[in-house]
Amino acid sequence: MSQVALVTRGSDDGEFSRAKGNGRELTPLRRWFADAPAASLLLLPVLVLFAFAVVYPLVQTIILSFWDIRGLAKPKFYGLGNFITLAQDANFRQAVVTTILWTACTTALSVGAGWAIALLCSLSPRRTLIPRVMIFAAFGVSEAVTGYVWLQMYRGDGAGLVNAVLSLLGLGGLAHAWLGDSNTAVWCLIIAYSWAQTGLPLLVIFAATQAVPRNILEAAYVDGAMPMSMMRHIVAPLSMPGVRVAVFINLLGSLRAFDTIYVLTGGGPARATETIGFFMFRESFTQFKLGYGAAATLVLLAAVLIVSIPAIIQRTRNTR
Amino acid sequence: MIGKSPRWVPITAWVLSIIWVVPLVGIVVTSIRPEGDTLLGWWRLDHVELTLNAWFEVWGKYKLGEAFIVTLEMAGIGTLGTMVLTPAAAYAFQFLRFPFRRTLLIIIINAFVLPAQVIVIPLFTLWRQMGLIDNILSVLIPYVGLSFAWSVFLVKNFLEDFPHELVEASRIDGCGPIASFFYVVLPNSLSPIFAVGILQFLFCWNSLLIPLLFMRTQLPLPVVFAQISGMYDANWDMRAVAAIVTTIVPLIVFLVFQRQFAGGSLASSGSKE
Repeated sequence: MSQVALVTRGSDDGEFSRAKGNGRELTPLRRWFADAPAASLLLLPVLVLFAFAVVYPLVQTIILSFWDIRGLAKPKFYGLGNFITLAQDANFRQAVVTTILWTACTTALSVGAGWAIALLCSLSPRRTLIPRVMIFAAFGVSEAVTGYVWLQMYRGDGAGLVNAVLSLLGLGGLAHAWLGDSNTAVWCLIIAYSWAQTGLPLLVIFAATQAVPRNILEAAYVDGAMPMSMMRHIVAPLSMPGVRVAVFINLLGSLRAFDTIYVLTGGGPARATETIGFFMFRESFTQFKLGYGAAATLVLLAAVLIVSIPAIIQRTRNTR
Repeated sequence: MIGKSPRWVPITAWVLSIIWVVPLVGIVVTSIRPEGDTLLGWWRLDHVELTLNAWFEVWGKYKLGEAFIVTLEMAGIGTLGTMVLTPAAAYAFQFLRFPFRRTLLIIIINAFVLPAQVIVIPLFTLWRQMGLIDNILSVLIPYVGLSFAWSVFLVKNFLEDFPHELVEASRIDGCGPIASFFYVVLPNSLSPIFAVGILQFLFCWNSLLIPLLFMRTQLPLPVVFAQISGMYDANWDMRAVAAIVTTIVPLIVFLVFQRQFAGGSLASSGSKE
């Protein structure tokens, strides 16, 4: 959730701020160290906590991945052994496949649905407020509770709404215990998670459509454009920045997803629904192979870094 | 949109929103019907009887009351910590000069991409050595420490548009760097600090992985809830109550402040210009 506020600020206003200056030009004589005492006082708690919570664990995860650590046994140096084992581990390869499928499908589904609904609602912003809030509300439900909500939907014992709807449609033959079948469990998870995440793309993209300058729409209207063609040729293309932001946020969210999987399937059946983010939890904290889990975590980190390279470059460049 | 919009637009939107509402309604309905009546589906109307039994019994069956207090404590302190510490850091990064300012800033604001999974293994070992397992500090430190990655960015972005003349004027009038933070910048940056607080509160309240690993006895709601929502448990009615108790506070905060939430991400999605 916290990513929302973070990523979105793309800062195309670099020139503007730079022209305005950040106060430094006004005092050219101020030395490099002039504010160091005050700055260290103000920053100290932040830096200490950040070092504890982020820097140390990150470095240590990298170090641990080269060690063989099982339970309380004495750790021994293992070189690239953990990574070689990972490459040969059928469960890990399964987790990589699941992660790719999961990340691609949840992002495509939630951004696709959010985008479609946002464009639809932009045709009539006032009269679609309540439906928008209702869809958005699902995004405000705790991820663990989302898992439970869908646990109830997928119940195989006749009290599950999914089966009931299927038999209503005359597809009763398809009804089964969705979560107990390793072929359907991963799709159940994808649908549940996409359902929860749709509110965010809807919000971001709808906001982008509302920011389309009115004079463009007025000009099109005067020229006789119908609502649908305005949608297709003006609003949809101009909502693309919102779509890009939504895709990035959803990719990050899917890669780090844990709660919904934990509650809905627990990674099962037969580890069929483990993503890398869940695999590392299982190896490290139920098998207590900390080094092995750390190596898997680094694979997850690599995936996260790959999808965030553009965002990181942009942020770094815009930092003054 | 300009011009008259077709009637089917709101109707379609309402129909689609059913998909998002029905699963949640299912939980609420299950929580107020006797369990026997919902065995064939909570939507069945052949025998309608409403009861609050599950709402009364659940507190004795699961430790929800205790978990509620624990969650409130963790989310409260975690949120306050971030709200107090972030503005000072953002101010220092924006207005003060000191060595490695830009390098530190770049490291901190890019850490927002890190998943919690990356930090839990070493922290688990560290907390075990320090004897902090099952201590509330073991979750508060990562909650607050992780938040700086996005909170400093958010507040500093706000400060980039802050009138620098005000800060300069206060400095000329004799304020030191810290005094000008307390008397000039802080009182005028309450809105981003408030936005940071809302986001951080939701994050802390909903956290599952971190307390699941580091806490043993004082468990917050998501952990307790995850334990009782195991697949083969019965008591669908009481578990539905537990689901509502777990998520009601963040959901209300989320819906009440969605204007700030939306406004924040609108301002930040570049559509400001």
